[in-house]
Amino acid sequence: MEEDEFIGEKTFQRCCAEFIKHSQEIGDSWEWRPSKDCSDGYMCKIHFQIKNEPAVSHPGTSTHGQTCLPMEEAFELPSDDCEVIEAPEASQVIKYEYHVLYSCSYQVPVLYFRASFLDGRPLTLKDIWEGVHECYKTRLLQGPWDTITQQEHPILGQPFFVLHPCKTNEFMTPVLKNSRKINKNVNYITSWLSIVGPVVGLNLPLSYAKATSQDQRNVD
Amino acid sequence: MAEEPQSVFQLPPSSAAGGEGLTEVSPEITTPEPPSSAAVSPGIEEPAGDTKKKIDILLKAVGDTPIMKTKKWAVERTRTIQGLIDFIKKFLKLVASEQLFIYVNQSFAPSPDQEVGTLYECFGSDGKLVLHYCKSQAWG
Repeated sequence: MEEDEFIGEKTFQRCCAEFIKHSQEIGDSWEWRPSKDCSDGYMCKIHFQIKNEPAVSHPGTSTHGQTCLPMEEAFELPSDDCEVIEAPEASQVIKYEYHVLYSCSYQVPVLYFRASFLDGRPLTLKDIWEGVHECYKTRLLQGPWDTITQQEHPILGQPFFVLHPCKTNEFMTPVLKNSRKINKNVNYITSWLSIVGPVVGLNLPLSYAKATSQDQRNVD
Repeated sequence: MAEEPQSVFQLPPSSAAGGEGLTEVSPEITTPEPPSSAAVSPGIEEPAGDTKKKIDILLKAVGDTPIMKTKKWAVERTRTIQGLIDFIKKFLKLVASEQLFIYVNQSFAPSPDQEVGTLYECFGSDGKLVLHYCKSQAWG
């Protein structure tokens, strides 16, 4: 990195390209999406997850082929068929989207994310909190508005949650300084995403760490 | 989110009272001040091996982070990164507002649920796993 802790947009794009190259090798489904005029763009990943909620019985509300009985009658009939489960698979699949954009003002990457059910209902900030890893919860809950905010996506113009970038340099600087000291190439995006990703449920496979090493060997 | 949406955050049970389950390996330690609950077995040589339950970890400080008096630890393979982070934070007496990060290859932070045994298999060499740790006020 020719600059100090910050990265320029060109470096950002190059690091993303390397990152995506490895993603393709391991089928991790990150892709680059250029903006309309192709001058810039962002990295994007979508993944689906089933939210593990207890099955809920909705007598009388389901339109399944099973017998649907109002609550009173269900009470009288001791049959398992009375317990109607409302399509748990469809209603509890959550679509997570993670976008990595470059912030010109902070000169660092920024993680945008959102989640919604398959019917389009977005997850609330509260839902998102519940998915935050235990080790980050205490800190984030103390001042959630300092770290996760809701903002308009700069390219898509839609509301996303954002992990605020103002502290990025605080944790990236030691890593970068250390790597410069030992003359080692570090993919800024890989390092950064490995740190911020788990906070919002995005865990990078370990092979990304090795990919960086391999790049170094090729460079030599 | 973590692979299991229900996110069961439980450290594996450990014989040590505090649950850290780390054993000192380095023989040159004179009077370390580990947390009272750490299992200390000075003088016991535990050769690292693939079939062993514990692996050797060498901890190195990055940046302005305090250096641990004891750098070499024998750790159960099932210990998670989060467990290790908690241990180091206690050992270094970090305050609550300070965050600690652990890196492999000096640049990649494994997710908190990652087990050190897996990391050893992927990144270990010369019978040990080198991990760098760094404190930060990132979300303080």
